[in-house]
Amino acid sequence: MLRFDVRAAFRDDATTFDVAADLAVRDGETLCLLGPSGSGKTLLLELLAGFHDHAGRLELDGRSLDGVPPEERGFGFVFQQYALFEHRSVRENVAFGAKYHEDARDPDALLARLGVADLAERFPGTLSGGEKQRVALARALCVRPDVFLLDEPLSALDAPTRERLRDDLVDVLADETAVYVTHDRTTARAVADRVAVLRDGRVAQVGPVADVFERPATRFVAAFTGATVVESAALPAGLDAPAGTLAVRPEHVRIGVDAPDGVPARVTRAVREDAAHRVTLAVGDAELVAYAPNDPPEETTVAVPSERWHAIPDGGRDADA
Amino acid sequence: MLVLAVAAVQVAAFLVADALGRPTLYVVFAVVSAACLGALADRGAFGVVAACLGGALLVALVYPLVTLVTVASPESVLAALARPDVRRTLYLSVYGPLLATLLACLLGVPLALLLRRDFAGRPVVEALVDLPLVVPHSVAGLAVLLAFGEGGALPSLPVLGAVPGLVLALTFVSAPYAVNGAREGFETVDRDAERAARSLGASRFETFRRVTAPLAVRGVLSGAVLSWARAVSEYGAVAVVAYNVTVFYPPAGERVQAMFGSVFVVRELDVNFDAAVAVAVCLLAVCVVVFLVVRALTRETGGWR
Repeated sequence: MLRFDVRAAFRDDATTFDVAADLAVRDGETLCLLGPSGSGKTLLLELLAGFHDHAGRLELDGRSLDGVPPEERGFGFVFQQYALFEHRSVRENVAFGAKYHEDARDPDALLARLGVADLAERFPGTLSGGEKQRVALARALCVRPDVFLLDEPLSALDAPTRERLRDDLVDVLADETAVYVTHDRTTARAVADRVAVLRDGRVAQVGPVADVFERPATRFVAAFTGATVVESAALPAGLDAPAGTLAVRPEHVRIGVDAPDGVPARVTRAVREDAAHRVTLAVGDAELVAYAPNDPPEETTVAVPSERWHAIPDGGRDADA
Repeated sequence: MLVLAVAAVQVAAFLVADALGRPTLYVVFAVVSAACLGALADRGAFGVVAACLGGALLVALVYPLVTLVTVASPESVLAALARPDVRRTLYLSVYGPLLATLLACLLGVPLALLLRRDFAGRPVVEALVDLPLVVPHSVAGLAVLLAFGEGGALPSLPVLGAVPGLVLALTFVSAPYAVNGAREGFETVDRDAERAARSLGASRFETFRRVTAPLAVRGVLSGAVLSWARAVSEYGAVAVVAYNVTVFYPPAGERVQAMFGSVFVVRELDVNFDAAVAVAVCLLAVCVVVFLVVRALTRETGGWR
């Protein structure tokens, strides 16, 4: 179990940026730090790795890591831009840490496990982004880290490469303890057991993935995890929504033949995405988003199962918004 | 292929103009041929004008050096090399800058490493490192002489007309190249790669030894070589501090009087023009070799293993 309650201030030329977080990661669990750029998620991760000084406490399995240098923390860091050693071959990259760890894994077996065994003699400069990240992952795995720290490991990759590597990453991290930083809610949903949504250096909400995505605590969390936020007063009575500020996920909004008893709605925009149309609807005085398999007609009907509405606590106002 | 063809045409034109005794013809030809190449490149009127101007600059840079080499006959170079004072000059011109570069690197590379990190006063330190670049070199020589010469900060060190003085003067003018080259070398090292090494179990020193140093070594070396070349070419500071130098000369097995290369060339112009040209050609040859080494070192990115 990794527990931390840390604070740090980072000074740029003109501004100061504060990061503070009190979180725990259970053994074998992947915790996603999800937030927009500038929310401090990468700084928080680097702070855990020991790359920055911080106040507060940080402990792994009851052992305090305060003041412990990065090389003695037992964390495996995976970087967005791979950070491979350009002057060493792929095998030498993977084996780099073996010198410092008696129980290191076999580099060639790791390369084979990640599907890049044939690259062992090559140098990083000749690899594609996806291959580099696989090598970087093998390099971190080699030293059997107690905790993986991953900083947007998929963000620099194109979509097909990202999806393939994400699937492999889910397998690799299945039994590992990991903190995974991302700004992408889709990735967070795919890899995380629990999610902590960050905003301006603070944790806005933390909980199991389904909890955070289905029951956002603030307007910001709702919007950032992809839910639609509406005021119930703006909705027509027939939608059977509770009172207050509501969040609803697009995948729970039914339209057309799926909503035979629904209220009338007008389609204002329909965008073809991978597997479905993302449809923006004018309903009463509110705007809802839904997914539809086909391009919908301009006039349609809309319904939402009453249990799918989530009333955002505290009127939906963020403490600092 | 095109590059080789252009070079061959230029060499032929130069030899023809040289044989006719009409160097102006070649200069005109070079600029006109540059204009033609500019027209061939199909970049419009700007391309022709830019090629013309750039061609003129290249002629101004390369033509004097080529002339120097063609003026010096192989016999005169060999005759000059047979003179003991010329050999001593060449020895001192390689040896003095080498010591200065070693000193500049010994003191400057750790400084370059410090300058990677932000600290209060870093801009001041950076400015101080670059200061010698703007100090007139005879002024630098005078300053070194006053600071470290008789009655100066280093009383036991012989400065005027001695190797330590020569090295101090050369270090003064060439150290910025060593420091800045090393800084560029360290700047090419990915900070995240160093962090990766730390998280994999390498201590600060191990990270430096296995990641930072191998990746930065090209920059450090090319800075050192540039610094050495800069020291070889120094005249002003050396003329003030060490016009005649007492130096231990291994072939003679004793201490002898010698002159630094650039100083020798300037003095010899009044005495023996052929010898001056011959020494100048030798210095030029050494510097061209160094230049090619720097180019080879800096061409490929990535480090040594």
